[in-house]
Amino acid sequence: MNLASDLPLTLQTVWLIPLYGFSGMLLSLPWATGWIKRNGPRPAAYLNLLVTLFAVLHGSLAIREVYAIGPQLFTIHWFQAADLNLSIGFDLSLVNLAALELVTTMSLVCQVFSLGYLDKEWSLARFYALVGFFEGAMSGVVLSSNLFISYFLLEMLTLSTYLLVGFWYAQPLVVTAARDAFLTKRVGDVLLLMGVVALSAMAGSMEFNDLYAWAGTAREQHLITPLVDTLLGLGLIAGPMGKCAQFPMHLWLDEAMEGPNPASILRNSVVVTCGAIVLMKLMPIVALSPLATTVLLGVGCVSAIGGALVALAQVDLKRAFSYSTTSYMGLVFIAIALQMPGIALLFLFAHGLARALQFMSVGSIIATTNCQDLTELGGLGSRMPATALAFLVGGAGLLGLLPLGCFWCYGLMVSNLLAIAPGYAVVFLLTNLLTAVNVTRVFRSVFLGSPMPKTRRAPEVIFWMALPMVSLAVMVLLLPWIMRLIDPVPGIGAFPLSVTLVLVGSGSAGVLIGCLLPQDRFWSRSSRPALRILQDLLANDFYTQSIYRATIVQPVRSIAVATRWFDLHVVKGVVDGIGRLSLATAEGLKLSVSGQLQSYVLTLLAGIFLLLGLLQWLRTGS
Amino acid sequence: MLLSTLLLVPLLGCLALLLWPGSPRPQRLRVITIVILGLQLLVSLLTLANFDPQQAGFQLVEQHPWLPGVGLEYSLGVDGISLPLVLINSALTLVAAVITRDIDRRPRIYFAMLLLISGAVNGAFLACNLLLFFLFYELELIPLWLLISVWGGVNRSYAATKFLIFTAISGMLILGAFLGLAVLTGSSDFTLTPVLSDRLEIGGQLLLLGALLIGFGIKIPLVPLHNWLPDAHTQASTPVSVLLAGVLLKLGTYGLLRFGLGLFPEAWARLAPALAIWAAISVLYGSLAAIAQTDMKRMVAYSSVGHMGYVLLAAAAATPVSLLGAVFQMVSHGLISALLFLLVGIVYRKTGTRDLEILRGLLNPEKGLPLTGSLMIVAVMASAGLPGMAGFISEFLVFRGSLNAFPLATLLSMVGSGLTAVYFLLLVNRAFFGRLAITAPTGDQMIDARLDVRLAPVAPRETVPALALVAGVLGLGLLPAGLGRLSEMATTALAFSGRGLG
Repeated sequence: MNLASDLPLTLQTVWLIPLYGFSGMLLSLPWATGWIKRNGPRPAAYLNLLVTLFAVLHGSLAIREVYAIGPQLFTIHWFQAADLNLSIGFDLSLVNLAALELVTTMSLVCQVFSLGYLDKEWSLARFYALVGFFEGAMSGVVLSSNLFISYFLLEMLTLSTYLLVGFWYAQPLVVTAARDAFLTKRVGDVLLLMGVVALSAMAGSMEFNDLYAWAGTAREQHLITPLVDTLLGLGLIAGPMGKCAQFPMHLWLDEAMEGPNPASILRNSVVVTCGAIVLMKLMPIVALSPLATTVLLGVGCVSAIGGALVALAQVDLKRAFSYSTTSYMGLVFIAIALQMPGIALLFLFAHGLARALQFMSVGSIIATTNCQDLTELGGLGSRMPATALAFLVGGAGLLGLLPLGCFWCYGLMVSNLLAIAPGYAVVFLLTNLLTAVNVTRVFRSVFLGSPMPKTRRAPEVIFWMALPMVSLAVMVLLLPWIMRLIDPVPGIGAFPLSVTLVLVGSGSAGVLIGCLLPQDRFWSRSSRPALRILQDLLANDFYTQSIYRATIVQPVRSIAVATRWFDLHVVKGVVDGIGRLSLATAEGLKLSVSGQLQSYVLTLLAGIFLLLGLLQWLRTGS
Repeated sequence: MLLSTLLLVPLLGCLALLLWPGSPRPQRLRVITIVILGLQLLVSLLTLANFDPQQAGFQLVEQHPWLPGVGLEYSLGVDGISLPLVLINSALTLVAAVITRDIDRRPRIYFAMLLLISGAVNGAFLACNLLLFFLFYELELIPLWLLISVWGGVNRSYAATKFLIFTAISGMLILGAFLGLAVLTGSSDFTLTPVLSDRLEIGGQLLLLGALLIGFGIKIPLVPLHNWLPDAHTQASTPVSVLLAGVLLKLGTYGLLRFGLGLFPEAWARLAPALAIWAAISVLYGSLAAIAQTDMKRMVAYSSVGHMGYVLLAAAAATPVSLLGAVFQMVSHGLISALLFLLVGIVYRKTGTRDLEILRGLLNPEKGLPLTGSLMIVAVMASAGLPGMAGFISEFLVFRGSLNAFPLATLLSMVGSGLTAVYFLLLVNRAFFGRLAITAPTGDQMIDARLDVRLAPVAPRETVPALALVAGVLGLGLLPAGLGRLSEMATTALAFSGRGLG
C-alpha cells in the first residue's frame, strides 16, 4: 500500500468499496444455499441493500475528499514473480469516483426495485447474491488503475452476467440465452486477454499510466511493427465490443432479456458503461493502430444505425430497448474512437440513468401485466400513470429533443463533429431520429389506444417498485444540473443555436414519424414484398443468429466431430491395430519356435550386440 | 529424516493394512487409511514448514548409498518444484480415500494400493537419483493397473491393459534414456546434477531427450500418445480418476521439467520451437475432441489432455515466469480436474448415467443436485480460466511467460483456453440447466412432462471433499503469492540453468 497514512480514513479504506458488493454476496449465501430457511429469503435482500448503501455513502465521502485534495492512486501488491508485477490498483480521480457513484446508486435503486419485482421469487437470496457480485465487480472495474485488474473484473462480469441471465435456468430459452451471453463475451474476453498478455510482455507494467507512456515511446521509436500493433489494437477492442454488445457481438444482449428484469436494468445501463470505460482507458493504446481505430469507428456506426433500425421491428418490449442500448453504445464508441473521452463519459452518464429508468418502467409493465408482447399491450396510460410518466421521462432523457441529459451530449458531439467529420454527425442525428421513432411507437402501442385483455385491469405498481422508479425519474430530470457540476468547462451548452435546431429537428421528425406510423395491432407482416423483406430482416436482427450458426458454430462443431472421429478411428485404430498385430505375429511365431535353448540365446546375444554397437557408434561417431 | 517419513508413512501404512489381523469391515479399513493419509498430509505440511523458499537447490537432503555398483543411491531432496506436487499428492490421495465407497471386492487390497500409489508418487517427486526416480515411477504403475482392472467399469480389462502397455513403454523409454546417459557419458553416476550437456555431444543429447520426451509424453499425455487416458478414466472408479488426473499425470510433466529441461538444456533449447508447436497441437486437439464428447467423464479426460499441453508450452519457453506458470498449472490442474472428476462421479452415482444427451436440469433445487451443480459451475469456470480461481493465474503466467518466445503457439493455446469455455459451458448447460430428467426424451411432450425423478441427497463424505477442493481452487486463485514465493527460486534457477547463468 503506497497510500500515505495522513490521508483521510475514507480514502485509506477505499479498497472496501468493491468489497461491499462481494460481501453482500457472501452475506446472502446462507439463504441462497438454503441453510437458513426460516422467515424466507428476505433478510438476504436487506443485508445486500445495507452494504450497497454503505458503498454509496463511502463513495460520496470519497468524492468529497478527492475534491478537496485532488486525485489519488492506491496500490496493493498482489503477485510478483521475476519481471512480472501484478497489483490491485485504484485510481481515485473524480471521473472514476463519479462512475463509481453511478454504479453503486444504480445497484441500490435496482435492488429496491427487485424487492417489488421479485416479490414472490423463491430464490430471491440467490438473485441478491448475484447482484452483489455484479456490483462488486463493476465498482472495481470503474475504479481500477491497471489493465490487469480491469480484465480480471471484466471476466467476473462475464461470469455474473451468465449466472444472472441463467437465473431461471429451468426454462429452455434461458438455457440458450445464458450460453450465448457467456460465449459471445468470452470470445471478446479471450481476444482481450491476448492483448493484455501481449501488452504485459511488451510494456512490462500493467498500470494504465505506464502503458500510455509506453505507447508514446513505441509510436516515436517504432518499437513494434504495424502488424503487431494492429493485432494488439484489435484484440484490445474485442473485449469492450463484447461487453457493450456491439455488432457483430451484440447477439447476447437481446437474448439476455430472458433474465429477470432488474438484472436487465443493470446490464443495459451500467454494465455496458463499464465496458465503454475500459475501452476509454485503453484508447491511447488502441490509437497506435490506425486500422483498429477505423474498425472501432466502423463498428460504432454500424451498431448505432443497425441497432436503432433493428429495435424498430421488435415486438418484444424489452428487446425493443435492448437493441437501442447497442445503438447508443455505438455512438459512445464513435466518440471514444475520435478521442473525445469527456463527451463520451457524459454520454455514458446520461444514457445510463435514462436507460435504467426506461427499463424500470418496462419492468413495471411486465410485473403488472405478466406480458411483454407489444401486440398484447395497450391503453395503460390512464391505468399506470406513474409508469407512463417514468417511461416518458426516460425516453425523453435519451433523445436529443428536450433539454434533458442526452440532448446536451448530442449537441456537444454534433457541433464537434461538424468541424472534423460531418459524416459522423449524420450518424448521430440519424440515430437520434430512429430512436425517437422507436420510443414514440412503443409509447403509443403500450400506453395509448384501447385497453387489451391483459391490460384492462392493470393497477399501478406497488410501493417498492414505484419508489425507485419515481426517484430515478427525478434524477433524470435533474441530470443536466448535475452534469453542469461535473463538467463546468467549457460548459455542456457550448454549441451553437444551429446545432440545437438541427438536433431538435431530427428528434421531432422522429417523434412525428413515430406518431404517423400505421399502428397495426397484430404487427402482421406487410403484404408488400419489399417492405416484408425489410421487416423480416430487421425483426430477425439481420439474421445474425443464422449467420453465426453457419459461419462459426457449425464449423467448430464439424472440426470437433472430425477430431473425435480421427481420435476414435485413426489414433485409437493404430493403437488397437498394433495390439492386434502383435497378437497375430505371436500366434504365427509360436509355430516357428523350436524350443531349443541355443536359438533363444542367439537371438538375445544378437540383440545385445546390436544395441551396444549402436551406442558405441553414437558415442564415437557423432 | 522428514522426507523418508513421507515415504515410510504410506508404505508402512500399506504394509500394516495388508497385515491387519482379522477381517476388518471395509468401513474400518477406510478409516484406518484416512488416518494414515491424514498423517501423511501432516508430514507434508511439516516439510512445508521446514522448507526455506529462499534457497534454489534441493533441501532436506538425505543420502545413503544403496547399490554403488550400478549407481543407485537412496537420495531424497525437495525443492520449490517438487514440494507443491508432494502437497497435492497428499491432499488428493486423502480426498480419494474419503470419497471411496462401496468397495465390495477385496477392500483391504484396494486401500493398500491407494497407500502404495501415494508413497510411490512421493518417492518419485523426492528422488534425487535417476534410477531411484525410475524405481518409484514403475512402482506406482502396478497398483494403478490393479485399481483399474479390479475395481473399474465394464470394459475395465481393455482399459487397464492399454494403460499398462502404454505406461510400460513410457517406463522403458525413460530407463533407456537414463542408462543411455550413463553409457554415453561413460560414468555410472546417476545423481541428479543439473548440467551434463558439456560432457555430451548434441546428437546424443537429442536422442536421449527424444526418448524422455516420448516417455513422459505418454504419461502427461500429449497428443497423439494420449489414447490410453480417456479409456482409463472412463473405466476407473471416481477415486482412481481423481488420483490419476490430479496426481499421476503430474509425474509426466514433473519428469519433463526435471529430467528433460534440467538434464539436457542445450538439446532442449534446440527442440523448444517444435515442442511449443506440439503443445499447441495438444491443447487444440484435446479441446476440440472434448467438444464432441457426450460422456461427461470422457469430456473431462480430454480437457486434461488439453490443459496439460499448457505445461509443455511453458516448459518449452523456459522463462522464469513460464516455468513458474508450469508449476502453477500443475497444481491448479490437479485441484480442478480432481474436483471435476469428483463431481462427475457424484452425478454418475446419483443418476446412473454420464450421458450428456440424457441428463438435464440437475440444478433443480428440491429434486436435483443443487449443491453439486453449483460446485460444478465453479469447477468448469475455474477450468475455463475465469479470474479469481486457480486456472486463471496459472494460464496467465504460462501465456505471459511464453508469448515472447513462441507467439504463435501461445496464441493458439489461448484459443484452446477459449474452447475450454465452449465444451464446459455445453456440459453445464446440457446437464444442469433445463427441466430435470435422467432418461432420454421420448419425443412425446406429454410423456416427457410427466417424467418425475427425485435424486437422493449427496452425502457429506462427497460434498465436504468437493468443498475443500473448491476452497483450494479459490484460495490459489485469489492469493497466488504463497505458491509463487514457494516455487519462484527453483523455477528461476531452472530457467537460467541452461543459459550458463545458474
